[in-house]
Amino acid sequence: MKEVFYVENLSLYYRDFAALKDIQLAIYKNQVTALIGPSGCGKSTFIRCLNRMNDLIPEARMTGCVRFDGEECQVSGYDVIGLRKKVGMVFQKPNPFPMSIFDNVAYGPRQQGLKNKEKLKVVVERALKQAALYDEVYDRLNDSALTLSGGQQQRLCIARALAMEPEVILMDEPTSALDPIATQRIETLIEDLKKEYTIVIVTHSMQQAARISDYTAFFYMGELIEYDKTDVIFSLPKHKQTEDYVTGRFG
Amino acid sequence: MSRRNIAQLLLDGTTYFATLLSIIALGLIFVYVFREGGHLLSVNLIRSDYHARNFVGTLREESPGSFPIESFEGDDLFPVERYGIVLQQTQDLAGDTVIRVYYVHEASPLRQLNNQDPTTNERTISLQEGMILRRVSYQEHPTSLTSRGASMMATDMNDSQREIREVLFSLEGGGIRGSVITTVYLIFLTLFIALPFGILTAIYFNEFAPVNKVTKLMRNFIETLTGVPSIIYGLLGITVFVPLTVRLTPASNANLIAGALTLSVILLPVIIRTTEEALKVVPNDHRWASLALGANKTQTTFKVVLKQALPGILTATFLGIGRVIGESAALIFVLGTAIRDQVRIFEPSTSLAVHIWSMMTDEPANIALSSTIALIILLIVLVLNVFIKVTVWAFNRKGSY
Ligand SMILES: Nc1ncnc2c1ncn2[C@@H]1O[C@H](COP(=O)(O)OP(=O)(O)OP(=O)(O)O)[C@@H](O)[C@H]1O
Ligand SMILES: [Mg+2]
Repeated sequence: MKEVFYVENLSLYYRDFAALKDIQLAIYKNQVTALIGPSGCGKSTFIRCLNRMNDLIPEARMTGCVRFDGEECQVSGYDVIGLRKKVGMVFQKPNPFPMSIFDNVAYGPRQQGLKNKEKLKVVVERALKQAALYDEVYDRLNDSALTLSGGQQQRLCIARALAMEPEVILMDEPTSALDPIATQRIETLIEDLKKEYTIVIVTHSMQQAARISDYTAFFYMGELIEYDKTDVIFSLPKHKQTEDYVTGRFG
Repeated sequence: MSRRNIAQLLLDGTTYFATLLSIIALGLIFVYVFREGGHLLSVNLIRSDYHARNFVGTLREESPGSFPIESFEGDDLFPVERYGIVLQQTQDLAGDTVIRVYYVHEASPLRQLNNQDPTTNERTISLQEGMILRRVSYQEHPTSLTSRGASMMATDMNDSQREIREVLFSLEGGGIRGSVITTVYLIFLTLFIALPFGILTAIYFNEFAPVNKVTKLMRNFIETLTGVPSIIYGLLGITVFVPLTVRLTPASNANLIAGALTLSVILLPVIIRTTEEALKVVPNDHRWASLALGANKTQTTFKVVLKQALPGILTATFLGIGRVIGESAALIFVLGTAIRDQVRIFEPSTSLAVHIWSMMTDEPANIALSSTIALIILLIVLVLNVFIKVTVWAFNRKGSY
């Protein structure tokens, strides 16, 4: 299987506090990789290293090496904008811009210089369809995105990321603010997106990880305890900590 | 009653009391200026010149005739049949007692006078309705003056013994057109200078500047500047901006540009702070979402952040306009106190607030006109405030439906 990301000896410090310690893992193409672990173990910190959002946190300092498509991407001089175009991100809280539904999805392509109305329309429509939102909003694309429900807003954020035609989509607890039905829709969506995209998802729900992911990484206190195929992690974990966590006997 | 309830009651009471006090104070000011100056408030006041143009003329034919004048009702009206005019005892726009020409008969000899003012080259001048009759002098008789009243002047003019030697009259003066225009100029010039500077500085501080000791110090410094009394900015104006403009422009002393520059310095800290507040309210989520989509920092700032900060920036603008309209102390030195009808940006003039100052330092102080201008300023500020509220409300509604 082709590796999209290859992470080696990755450590990250917030001032003196080590939030990630010597992480080593590969993320495979067209697979869903789930990151699990108790709160504060560094899942969000890790996922932010993949599209260099950690650059925005002034007190964060990183050592080690992250390769994207074989190229080291955490070195200075690397094209960060290019990286973020290829590695999209969906956040925990739905965060559509206070603009129309159309403008939200068209935002990314527009910033890359796409002005042509017809082309934008095609891009927006395709992204909304991929995010399984088109049928619900096709007749009100000019309404404010804030009129949508929470679940719709999160799918809009996914559509907004998809409009950039990325290779990878990072999702940090995308369903934690949603009800079970909206969660279900997003999970189905992830199943579909897997065919074309590589997905990395942080989740607190063991069931969700088990349902949708192919690979699972278990983090604990800034360390990667175990990383394997999801069935292995959930049925035959090698480590006691992993077993305790996935069976809910933790702490 | 529990102790907490009493504390709550006390707190509520104080709040209501303070609010009530401010409302009463504002109400009293309104009532006062309205009572003193309300009667002078008119469109004519805003449209008219301050300095009346004077005319001096002599009669063409020696002896006038008699002109029938239809009845004019009113205690303040005095017909002069000999010359076919009706005089009115009244007040001008500035509230001074004057004799106004109420009516002029079509065939009145006063409609065709020889111009005696050597500084203009018109040959014929004419007395028209609405003009102010200042003085009528006769051959071998004492002159009729405004101060003796319209009734006396009418009696004198009707006297067949008297032959008019010379008539002095003028357009109605006392208007505030020049000061209104100066104020408008000041608003535009000041905002033109202060807004871009202020907004860009706020953006730099909030979006780009690293958080360190230097930027913190600069922030505190700006904060302090908002508290400096404006007369001190006036001093800055005369020591820096007036010499600077005299050097670089055709100006030879106090002038409008220097006034606008001084006001810009006063506005800058206000605009920076209000804009910064507006930028701080924009959730970080939106900045991150934009950056994660591969937009760069500048795009994120202008397309996402600034758009949402717009209501706040508008508020800053309106606050700025209010400040420009209300400022007087700083402008007295820098813009001048001479009321002008012809406003030029390289010359001195007065804003509305300084116009009040000029009226009040006159001997005797013109309280009526000052109150009228105060009323106009208060109304503008009130309208601006309503405008701010409405725009912010409209923006919020558009954003969140
Ligand atoms: N900006 C920051 N400055 C300092 N410490 C931070 C910062 N962000 C995170 N941390 C710390 O780093 C550790 C890892 O945080 P992180 O957000 O990656 O955890 P997480 O696994 O995503 O937790 P959760 O499941 O609650 O989201 C935590 O102990 C947190 O307190
Ligand atoms: Mg997290």
